[in-house]
Amino acid sequence: MRAFSTMVKTELKLSLRGMDMVIFAIAMPVVVAIILGIILGNKLAFEGAGYTFFEQSFGAVASIGICAAGVMGLPLVVADYRHKKILKRCKVTPVSPTMILLAQVVVNMIQSIVSLILVYAVSAVFFGYRMSGSVIGFLGAYLLVMLSIYSIGMMVAGVAPNIKMANILCVILYFPMLIFSGATLPYEIMPMPLQKFADVMPLTQGIKLLKGTSLGMPIENVFIPIVVMCILAVLCMGISVRYFRWE
Amino acid sequence: MVTALVVENLHKSYGSVHAVDDIHISVNRGEVFGLLGANGAGKSTTIECILGTKKYDKGTVRILGIDPQRRRKELFEKVGVQFQESNYQDRITVAELCEVTHALYRNPTDYEQLLSQFGLAEKHKSLVSELSGGQKQRLFIVLALIPNPELVFLDEITTGLDAKARRDVWKHLVNLKNKGLTIFLTSHYMDEVEVLCDKISILKKGRIIFHGTVKQAIKNSPYDKLEDAYLWYTEEEGTAHESL
Repeated sequence: MRAFSTMVKTELKLSLRGMDMVIFAIAMPVVVAIILGIILGNKLAFEGAGYTFFEQSFGAVASIGICAAGVMGLPLVVADYRHKKILKRCKVTPVSPTMILLAQVVVNMIQSIVSLILVYAVSAVFFGYRMSGSVIGFLGAYLLVMLSIYSIGMMVAGVAPNIKMANILCVILYFPMLIFSGATLPYEIMPMPLQKFADVMPLTQGIKLLKGTSLGMPIENVFIPIVVMCILAVLCMGISVRYFRWE
Repeated sequence: MVTALVVENLHKSYGSVHAVDDIHISVNRGEVFGLLGANGAGKSTTIECILGTKKYDKGTVRILGIDPQRRRKELFEKVGVQFQESNYQDRITVAELCEVTHALYRNPTDYEQLLSQFGLAEKHKSLVSELSGGQKQRLFIVLALIPNPELVFLDEITTGLDAKARRDVWKHLVNLKNKGLTIFLTSHYMDEVEVLCDKISILKKGRIIFHGTVKQAIKNSPYDKLEDAYLWYTEEEGTAHESL
C-alpha cells in the first residue's frame, strides 16, 4: 500500500509539472463549458423542452476530462516510460504491472475529477447551472464512464509496443470519441447515420447515461449500456495485465 | 562457500547470430565478479538474460537460488540492479526518485544515509536530469543499494566518468565489498577491474574465453599488465601470435 500511495503521489506531481494533462484534461473541458455557456445562453434544447441546451450538454462536457486523461494521458505516459526503459528498470524491482497501471489510472482519475468539479463550478457560477436530476445517479454514471474509458486506456498503455503505436491508437480512439460521441459536438444535431455510428462507441452510451441522469429523465434500457461497459472494462483490464509489455 | 549466482549453459541468438553462446558463470557470496569484453561481445545481453529482462533460448539461471523468470518479485527484494542506460522520469528530482524506489521494497535502507555517503546529500531537490555524469552514476548506485540487497548488478558503472569520479566510485564499491556484498559488474577499464574484481570472465563473440582471477589472467598471457593480457585474449588469434 505504501508503494502504491508513494507511486501515485510522485506520478501526480510529475504529471502536474508536465502541464500536458493540466491543459487537456483540466483546462480544456472548462474552456468548452465557457464557450458553450456564452454561445447557448439560456436557449432551450428544443422548442417546448423542459431544459436548456446547456443543461443538456453538461454531461457531455464533463466527460471530456475522462477521455483526455483516460485514453490520452494514461497510455501516452506509460508508453513513454516503456520507451525510456523506465518499465525495464521496474521489472528488476518487486513492482507488479497491475500496480504500475493502477497508479497511472488513479493519477489520471484525480485529474478527471478535478475537471468535473471545475466544469460544474464554472457552469453553476457563470451560467446558473443546476443539476435537475439525481446527483447520485449522475456520479454513478460518471464512475461507470470512467471505468470503461480508462480500461480502454489501460489496454493501450499495457500493450502498445512503442510511443508511435500508442500515439496512433490514442488518436484513433480519442478524437472520434471526442467529436462523435457528443462530448464536443452535441449528439442531437448530428444526422441520423452519424448518430448510429456514434452509438457503437462506449463513450456515446456513457454520455447518454450522464445526460439522462443529470436532466433527471427516465432512461430507457439503462441495463444494456451498463452491462456492455462493464464487460468492456473487465476485458480490457484483463488484456492490459495479461499481455503487459515491460519493453 | 555459498554461491550467489549460477548460470549454466546459457544460450541466446538473434537469428543466426549467437549473442550468448554456452555461457557458464558461478559467483560466490561476498565475491566481486567482473564480466569483461569489447562492445558487442555480449555483456549486456548476458546480464539481461540473467536478470530476466531478456528471454534466453536455453540454459539455467539461479540468483540466490531463485529462478528470475518465475519468481521475479521475490528475487528483486534482495537484488539491486543498475542498467547501462540511465532510465528515469523527466522532471523527477533526486529525492522523489529515491522515495519512490524506497517504497517498492519491504526492507529498504535509509536512502538519506546513502545519499550523504555518496556525496549527494545537497542534491536532494535537484532534477536528476541536471546532475553531472558522475553524480548520476553515484545516484544509480544509491538506487541499486536501496533494497538492502545481497547482490548487486552494475553494468558499466564508471563509463563516461572522469578520473576523480571513477576513483570515488571505486572507493564506495570497495567499502561495499568489505561489508560482504556480492557484486556483479561489467567494465571497460582494466585498472578498475584489477582494484575491484576477485574473479573475471572475458567474453568474445558471446563465448567466455577466459575465466579465473586477475592474477591467473596475467599469468596465462605473455604480458605483465592486465590491460595487455586482456587485449591479447580478445584479439584475433592470428594477430595475437604475431604480437608474440
